Parts: sequence; structure tokens; C-alpha cells
Amino acid sequence: MSLRSGHIHTAIATMRTNRWRSVLTMFGITVGVASVIVIIGISQGVKNEITNQVYAFSKNVITVTSKAANLTNFGVSQVPTVSTLTNQDVTSIGKIKGVTASVPMIIESGLVTGDKTLHGGIVIATSSELPSVLNQSLAFGSFFTSEDISSYPAVLGYNASVGLFKENVPLGFSFNWRGQPFIVNGVLNGFRVTPFSNNTLYNNAVFIPSQAAKQLDPGGGSLFQILARVDNSKDLNKVGGEITAALIKNHGGQKNFSVLLPSQVAKNNTGILNLLTELTIGIALISLFVGGVGIMNVMLVSVAERIHEIGIRKAIGASNRQVMSQFLVEATTVSVTGGLIGILLALLADLVLKLVTNLSPSISWEIIVIGAAISMLIGIVFGSIPAIRAASKEPIEALRNE
Amino acid sequence: MSLIKLEDVSKLYGFGDATTLALDEVNLAIDKGEFVAVMGPSGCGKSTLLNIMGLLDRPTHGTYRLQNRLVDRLSQNRAAKLRRDTIGFIFQSYNLLPKLTVLENVALPLAYKGVGVTKRVKLASQILERVGMQNREYFFPNQLSGGQIQCAAIARALVNDPSIIIADEPTGNLDSAGSRLVMELLSEIHKMGNTIIFVTHNPELTKYATRVVYMHDGMIIEDETTSIGEVAKTAKRRMYSLPKKTAEDDLAGVSLLMKVVPDKTEVPSSSGQAKSKQANSTKRKRRYMKAKRQK
Repeated sequence: MSLRSGHIHTAIATMRTNRWRSVLTMFGITVGVASVIVIIGISQGVKNEITNQVYAFSKNVITVTSKAANLTNFGVSQVPTVSTLTNQDVTSIGKIKGVTASVPMIIESGLVTGDKTLHGGIVIATSSELPSVLNQSLAFGSFFTSEDISSYPAVLGYNASVGLFKENVPLGFSFNWRGQPFIVNGVLNGFRVTPFSNNTLYNNAVFIPSQAAKQLDPGGGSLFQILARVDNSKDLNKVGGEITAALIKNHGGQKNFSVLLPSQVAKNNTGILNLLTELTIGIALISLFVGGVGIMNVMLVSVAERIHEIGIRKAIGASNRQVMSQFLVEATTVSVTGGLIGILLALLADLVLKLVTNLSPSISWEIIVIGAAISMLIGIVFGSIPAIRAASKEPIEALRNE
Repeated sequence: MSLIKLEDVSKLYGFGDATTLALDEVNLAIDKGEFVAVMGPSGCGKSTLLNIMGLLDRPTHGTYRLQNRLVDRLSQNRAAKLRRDTIGFIFQSYNLLPKLTVLENVALPLAYKGVGVTKRVKLASQILERVGMQNREYFFPNQLSGGQIQCAAIARALVNDPSIIIADEPTGNLDSAGSRLVMELLSEIHKMGNTIIFVTHNPELTKYATRVVYMHDGMIIEDETTSIGEVAKTAKRRMYSLPKKTAEDDLAGVSLLMKVVPDKTEVPSSSGQAKSKQANSTKRKRRYMKAKRQK
């Protein structure tokens, strides 16, 4: 123990005397550890957001999407235009036991004009049951009910409301869609914008009753999603199966749709993220590897420079293991110091990311411990070859070398 | 029973044509409590002999018994352990670690033995007091004079309480005052019962020794017991008059040169054992020639 602390002492002294060399050696490890931690932190933060209910739909909603168009779940641009789902499916799902609401989500085309023309917004035709599946409250007003469909009511997403009207609270104001004036019944609170979710889509949406849409656009929009609310979360799996069975029957035996349970939605959304994370961590690991090779290189030089010292130590009774442990401790000290600096840098980067971007990376203490452990491991792995070389020197050969 | 017993110990360096014979079948027995001075010209194998006795090097042939234990084929780690516990080294170039203080240097062998830090410092500082360095404990080697550094090195050699002290020209880099300091210290240690083997070029220093061994070309050519306080009788003579080459040697040298002339003159050779003996002696002569040419 005391010998080991002596080794650490020597290692630090050596690092001080070869300051530049030590800094450059540590650099590789520092960058590697910092990037691994930051990447894991970012991906963990995003995953947390996805799983932490900052999601457009509430917990007990089964999402049915059209498979033909469901190419990826990757953002707004992928909203399908041709769908395999039909209105018949909506009613079938509504009849299944355990389903308390079956809400169609139909994308309609056409310009929306209020005080201004809405750019970058979409019209979603839906039923009055949408609030029961939506995980969001209204900022003003109320959602339309099935009774007042005749008066062409509409509910606006937060951004859509800003895009259509100069007025802050546009309740009772009207806008035109396909020549028909609609009256604003309510404005939704903004959905929190998170990566990999469709929340941006809902912030820009104009929600109108599906009956009105059918009347004004008989050709129909695209039924891209059916949301089924299940009150008892224990029934989710069972109901999911029944929905699949019912739709297969409707679609003549084809399974050209997908039924996603809430847990699967999150998983689908984090799948690509996980892949990206793994890829980037792989790249960061390469940098760690290169850093390790750097340490090995420097340690080999250091051993060559200090052969005489090794000879002296052996002459006064150091065993091979003791010499080896000295150089291992030295390599590990360099790599762990590099790793600790990397961890500090990562924490700093985390802070900067939180301030500058809307990402909220979460760096847990486990990641920090893993980072420290990785840097230690690198020191041991890459320090061992130079250490073994140092230890296996014949004492007399070593002493002669000056 | 001898503390150190070398039997027919030879040491060869290099391969093929470049092979040199550093020790040539040396037989030497040293008893406990002896103070042995090893003398001889440069390159005669003194250091090699000391390194083998100190377990830093291994003999190519022959056997070495230390405390009646066969040690010439010990593994590196066993040798290190034995070295740590029974042998203390003192070098001409001191060989203190420059980045450690005197105290840390002296305590280092104890650290390798596994002694705890408190005890280590205590023991080291006791030894330093014995060599008169108690107020230099926290100096670095480069802040001390040669004599002081060598005293610290002696303290380091003593700290494990070894029975044998091996000193390779301990006074080689010191002035006469420093030499005296170091030799007085060694002779005091000798009085405590340690066995000391040291190499020197200075005939004056043989007055500290109880036995003087003269070496030449890897062989012990004279082994003289002297009394402490007297310069060995043969010391001065040996130092300034190396064994002269005889006419025969010179002739052999010339015939050796003849061999490499490309006219393929065959050198007549005798048979059997005589041949091998001759080969052995010509090897030595070849080295003479080599040395001569270099001059």
C-alpha cells in the first residue's frame, strides 16, 4: 500500500517534470472520455424526455397507423398522404370492449385563412373525443363537442393560433377553409417540443370536426392515425390484439397497418436514437483507443529513458512485479488524470448545452463512474506492455545503460 | 564454511567472433567478516566478478554458492529477493535516484521489502545518523557533495542490514578527503561484523582491507591476506607493473596475424588436449592484440 502510494508520488513527479508530454498524452483520453460521456448524456436526456410523458398522447392510448405510409417515425415530413386505414376501422375499434374512445386523425389539404394565411400549418380532422386521448390542456376556450358540429367549430394549436390571428385570444374569431368559415372554439397550450416526436405537428395544427371535413372535402383526407383510449392499462395488450384482429378482418386478411402500444411508441422513437448513439460512442471509443496507444507510446519512451533507474531499483531489491507495478501505476495515473479532466469537460459541455440548446442532457453518476473506470482500464491495458518490458530488464544490463 | 564460494566461474559476453571472456574459471571463497579489496587494471573482470557475487549477473559456467546455497541459476524474482535481504550495493556513480530526497532514497529498499512508511522513515533516519548525514535528510542528491552522496548511498546499502556489502569503486569519483570519509565508514561497518568486498584502483586503500585479490584478464592472479592498517605489499608493484609479455606471447601474436594473410599458410597444430589449451591461451592473446591495435 505504502509502496503504491510512493509509486503514485513518483508518477505525479514524473508528470510534472515532463509537463508537455503528459498533457499531450492525456489529451486523447480526455477527448475520448468527454465525448463518450456527453454523447451518452445527450441520448439519455432525450430518452428521458420521450419516456417522461412529454408526449402528445396520454399514457393509455393505442396508436394505429397505416403501414403503407409509415415509412419512418422520423418527424413531420413523413406524415402520410395515402392511407390504408378507413372510417370503418374507426368504428370497429370503437366497438371493441375496453376501448372508451376511438379517435380518427385525418390530414386534410387546403389553405387556411384568418387574419393571415397560415403557413406551415396543417388541418387535422378529428372527433370531439380527441381531448380524452390528448395529453394537453387548452389555453383558452374549450374543445368542440359532438352537438355543436353544425356551427363549424375549430380548435387551434398554439402556433397555428399565432399564425392565423393578430389577436392573442382569438376565441370566437373565424377563419376560412375550403370556402367555409370556421369559428375558433379553443386554443391548445403549446406541446413541449422534443426531438423525435410529432409534437411540432400538433402545435401547428388546426383541428376541425371530421363530419365537417367530410362534407367540405368528400374525396376525403388521409386517415393517418387512429387513437384508441383504453381506461384500464392492464387491458392494453389484450385490446391491442383485438384491434389487430378486427382490422385484419376489415382489410381482407392483410396486415397493412401497425398497432402500437404506448411502450412501443417510445421504443420506436428511441430505436433510431439508440442506433445513432451507439454509432457515435463507437467513434468516441476509437478516440479512446488512439489515446491509449498514445499512452503506450509515451510509456515505452519513458521506460527507455529510465532503464538506468530501473537498474538501480532492481539492484537495491525491487522485484519484477514491483517494477512493473511502478510503471503500471504511472500509466494509470496519466490516463485517470486525463479521464478526470474529460469528466470535468463533459460536465462543462453539459452545462453549455443546457444553456444554449433545448437539449437537456442528463449525466448520471453511473456514467461518470464508467468514464473514470474506462480511463483507468485504458491505463492498465496500454500500460501493461511497457511495464512488462521495464520489469523484464536484466538488472546488470539496465544498470550499464546510462 | 565460506559465505561466498565461486567454483570455476566463467563469464562470456557477446556471440561468435565478438565473444569476450570476462571471467576465466575463477575460484574464490570469501568468509564471513572479511574485508576484501579487488584490484586490477580496467577491463580485467573486477566489476563482472562483483556483479556475479551481488546476484546482478549470472555466470555463464561454474557454480556460485551464497551462504551455502546454490544461487547461480535463480529466477530474477528470487535473485531480487535474496539481493534485497543479504546484499547491499555501493556504486562508483552513487546511483541515487535524483528525484527522491536522501531520506526517500535510503528508505527505498525498505519499501521494496514491505516495511510500513513510519518505520521506514525511522530506520532510514537512524542509518543516516550513523553515516553522519542526519541534517541532510531532506536534501536532494544534486545538492550534496560527492562524499556526502556516497555516504547516503552507503546508508542505503546498509538499511536492510545486509550481511554482505559490495562496493564497485566506491571512491572512484571522490577526492582524497571524500575517499577517506567513505573508507573510514566502510571500515567501521566492517567492525560491526559485515563482510565487505570492494574494488579499488588506489593501492593506499588496501590498508583498510584484510585481504587483497588481484585480477588480470578475467583471472585471479594473486590473493594476499594483509593486516588492517598496512598497504598490501604487492599492491603498488601490481598497479604500476602489469605482467610483462614474454617473447613467446609476442610470437604467438605475430603468428595470429599471419593467419589472416590470405596465402593460406597452415599453422602447424598439435593434437588433442594441448590444442584446446592453446586455443584458450590464444584467445587471451588475441585480446592483447586487439587492445594494442586500439592504442
